[in-house]
Amino acid sequence: MSDEVKVEVEDLVPFYVSKSEPLLNSLEEHDIRIEYQCRSGYCGACRVTLLEGRVDYDEPPLAFIKENEILTCCCKAITDLKIMRPL
Amino acid sequence: MQYTIFNRKPVNSLKEPMFFGETVNVARYDQQKYPIFESLIEKQLSFFWRPEEVDLSKDRKDFQDLAEHEQHIFLSNLKYQTLLDSIQGRSPNIALLPVCSLPELETWIETWAFSETIHSRSYTHIIRNIKSDPSDVFDDIVRNEEILKRADSVSKYYDAFIEYMNLYTMFGLGTHEINGKPIDVTLFELKKRLYLCLVSVNVLEAIRFYVSFACSFAFAERALMEGNAKVIKLIARDEALHLTGTQHMLNIMASGQDDEEMARVAEECKQEAEEIFIEAAEQEKQWAEYLFKDGSMIGLNKDILCQYVEYITNIRMQAVGLNSPFDVKSNPLPWMNAWLVSDNVQVAPQESEISSYLVGQVDSEVSADDFDDFDL
Repeated sequence: MSDEVKVEVEDLVPFYVSKSEPLLNSLEEHDIRIEYQCRSGYCGACRVTLLEGRVDYDEPPLAFIKENEILTCCCKAITDLKIMRPL
Repeated sequence: MQYTIFNRKPVNSLKEPMFFGETVNVARYDQQKYPIFESLIEKQLSFFWRPEEVDLSKDRKDFQDLAEHEQHIFLSNLKYQTLLDSIQGRSPNIALLPVCSLPELETWIETWAFSETIHSRSYTHIIRNIKSDPSDVFDDIVRNEEILKRADSVSKYYDAFIEYMNLYTMFGLGTHEINGKPIDVTLFELKKRLYLCLVSVNVLEAIRFYVSFACSFAFAERALMEGNAKVIKLIARDEALHLTGTQHMLNIMASGQDDEEMARVAEECKQEAEEIFIEAAEQEKQWAEYLFKDGSMIGLNKDILCQYVEYITNIRMQAVGLNSPFDVKSNPLPWMNAWLVSDNVQVAPQESEISSYLVGQVDSEVSADDFDDFDL
């Protein structure tokens, strides 16, 4: 199970996702609704707050993100994650 | 300062702020203070498209078959978008270039404005296709009360900044007597007007376009006006990028990393910025009411559209560090996102049904029996 990491979204039941999939795809598979638009890192619609853990990007995304934010459409998890959706 | 088109002073643009530093002299991109603007330019160039690529022949028939109140919805949105892109095709250049201090930012502004002119051209392409006399539509833009109300709030922050910026580029800072009246030109006021202008541009790109986008995609969900929806998809893709550009500028300003005084301006203008967003959201809701005054369309009505406006206003405000004012927690039009995904915007002509590209194509498939009826 080395390819999988644990993801906690707010107070929902934690689940496991693949490190090689974009996080947004995995979240959608688990019925976590995230706003999205371009799905390629330039619009910023899918940003969420990263409370714990680290992610990586294949290429640096164009959209503006604050230090504690990640773009789910194009990031991949490196470690276990704790995230919070906006609103 | 007196404006010069080519600043003769040797300038290290890596040490200049985004705006109100030394004006740009050499357009060089080998070194950048903010590489993000260079990346935005690259992305925008890769998005290049031409309205004529999109085949609208079926739309003409679709439009004629629409009920009258649906034609009203379609045309009104087109008029509103024409207004917005008329403004955006020229104003970033006029307002921002004279006070811009970074070559990569200067070129981003020009690239951004240029892509808006493609949008304007695409409206002509669409209107020409559905109306025998396009003037009916275009002329109404400066007569229609509802559109004019919006023109006013979209352009007022630009005008306020441009007026003041002209005094600055002509006379420099200080008190000047103009038409017999003393006028104070201060850097703080300039920055304030610029910041509010950018907020209002952000609102334009982030919220004002989306009511119209929603209607276009709602038609296309019913397999109507699909050529138009294809054009709108391309426009929405560009607008999402422009929105990111403006969010970067606003956030760099607010962070103070670029110019400390700008951060104070952003802090001081916070409430006014929030009001600009909220006012625009209210106007868009009124616009939804105007669109549906004679009847709704399948899949969309005034209430859902208003909730959608509130929802995206919340998201956009959060993105630039403002408080989200509305109590909508989820997207009332989830199917919109599927239309806004850029993955399935087809860009390679050989892979898409772009008719202008396919016309005149040679059928290159040859089978063994193709020469059977040849006699030598």
